[in-house]
Amino acid sequence: MRSKSAQEPHRYAIAIHGGAGAVPRAMLSKLREQRYRAGLEAALDGGFALLERGGSALDAVTGAVRVLEDDPCFNAGHGAALTRDGAAELDAAIMDGRQLRAGAVASVRHVRNPIELARRVMEKSRHVLLVGSGAEEFALEESLVLVPNLYFRTAERQEQLGSEQRGERVSDLVPAAQGTVGAVALDGDGNLAAATSTGGMTNKRPGRVGDSPIIGAGTYAKNGVCAVSATGHGEYFIRAVAAHHVCAAVEYRALSLEQAVREMLHGILPALGGDGGLIAVGGDGQIVMDFSTEGMFRGARDSAGRREIAIY
Amino acid sequence: MSRPRLLALLCLAVAIGPARASEPRPLAIAIHGGAGVIDPAKMTPAHAASYRAGLAAALDAGYAILERGGSSLDAVTAAVRTMEDDPQFNAGRGAVLNHDGDAELDAAIMDGHGPRAGAVAGVRHVRNPIELARRVMEKSPHVLLVAEGAEEFALEQGVVLVPREYFRTAARVRELEEARRQAGELKAAAPGPSGTVGAVALDRAGHLAAATSTGGLTDKHRGRVGDSPIVGAGTYADDDSCAVSGTGQGEFFIRQVVAYDICALVKYRHLTLAQAVRELIHEKLRRSGGEGGVIAVDRYGNIAMDFNSVGMFRGARDSRGRRDIAMYRDAQ
Repeated sequence: MRSKSAQEPHRYAIAIHGGAGAVPRAMLSKLREQRYRAGLEAALDGGFALLERGGSALDAVTGAVRVLEDDPCFNAGHGAALTRDGAAELDAAIMDGRQLRAGAVASVRHVRNPIELARRVMEKSRHVLLVGSGAEEFALEESLVLVPNLYFRTAERQEQLGSEQRGERVSDLVPAAQGTVGAVALDGDGNLAAATSTGGMTNKRPGRVGDSPIIGAGTYAKNGVCAVSATGHGEYFIRAVAAHHVCAAVEYRALSLEQAVREMLHGILPALGGDGGLIAVGGDGQIVMDFSTEGMFRGARDSAGRREIAIY
Repeated sequence: MSRPRLLALLCLAVAIGPARASEPRPLAIAIHGGAGVIDPAKMTPAHAASYRAGLAAALDAGYAILERGGSSLDAVTAAVRTMEDDPQFNAGRGAVLNHDGDAELDAAIMDGHGPRAGAVAGVRHVRNPIELARRVMEKSPHVLLVAEGAEEFALEQGVVLVPREYFRTAARVRELEEARRQAGELKAAAPGPSGTVGAVALDRAGHLAAATSTGGLTDKHRGRVGDSPIVGAGTYADDDSCAVSGTGQGEFFIRQVVAYDICALVKYRHLTLAQAVRELIHEKLRRSGGEGGVIAVDRYGNIAMDFNSVGMFRGARDSRGRRDIAMYRDAQ
């Protein structure tokens, strides 16, 4: 048995999301849909390429999330949703399932790639979570690229903020409340990792932090169990300790990953009043992507040949 | 099952039912004032008496609320506020100072009925961070607000703001100077577990609540947030299982999702509260290298207080007549 598994190449897999939300299908223009699909493909293939050449799950999720942060279509990094003051305030977290190491940042305004900073917090500091100007001080100490807040603000997001503040219906951008990007991966060594990055809710109160940078809520990874990244109405995911709950359901109750994700999205969260989506990968490389909203921008690819991008 | 036996069981159930209902439901509260903070060799009798008095004041303030039919939420808020105002403890006034010499405060509260939660992190001017956390839960659609945005919300809510000097006590300034000197000499020294205050309670209506408040680590990096304001890590409550408040090396508590994991073990693995707490503190946390402790109460009013550090300032009181205050392992 052991020699067989040693000969067989280990399975590896990656899944990504670009936010769960309810852009009604009819409202999504062909051009916009193509842009979303192209962005998701770039992130998915970028992350998968790293796994394919023996890279770590940690590098794969970092790479995939960074691509989505740089893409103005998605609510993270460049093109993040704006606070009620018109500024971008960014949150991100990363977790390494191998030793349960984690790093996160919240409410940063000048870090081009918050996921990079979260990773530095994990690898170069003795802390897990840094917030606000203290996190940016650490970014400077680590020589990360800082940018003016203007870098993040796209014309489309400013328009979206304006229409939300006027109480108008929002465009076909990733819906205001629920965009977030994330990735989960299993590498050839059997290590799991998860990463999530977001600008949060459009028109949010400055200082509001959602589930993305909260270890156990929006992001969690534990080797042999699962890696999870969430998107949706963050307050509910925090109260439900959503990402850790999924792992606990697999570990303590022997639920399948699919059952655990379903219980959270279609049982626990609706009972609290929340909706959204989850992507997860198990220790065996099984990928689960589910949501309770009309759609979720998502992609999955594994060493068994699966490769898909989907929205609805 | 034979008919007579079934009948007998039914009679038994009927007999137990009303007896249970007429018995008053249990009340319980437990508090902590930090784990591992004081070397027993350095603890003078005067110090010990003073800590005991501070813990007793918080414990009794919380219990009095439960006794007159108040909610567990009010009880944990009152107990924590009492310790925030007491400069001996690392929360509110007397909180430890960060690298820049400021107190940066974190707090969270969770109502097991809902469940709902509120938390604040990195605030520097809020006299009672636990009050602000409660406002976040009750008056905002959010769970966590940080830094200046949280203080903006405090102003909107009429919560008392104070100058930063309010928090800085002479003892904490000396501690910071000492920590800086040691950091200069011994760069790689790991941070010891820090004091933090917290409370968990069960009220007459059967609702559980948990609250935690802290100044974090001495000489911490500005913006560093530990487990206290992280729902699931340092604070968690669910009426179906238990309420937990943690204290110790926050980074380890976050990574292990300690408070929630204890409740998950109770709810899904059907461990007793004491077993679940032991599993987290003496197995999972210790294996990962983390030091600290937790207090917890379950829906039956059982209290568990355990730690893997030298000591943990703690107190427990319930409607069965228990009332104790302790600091070290031997319940002294």
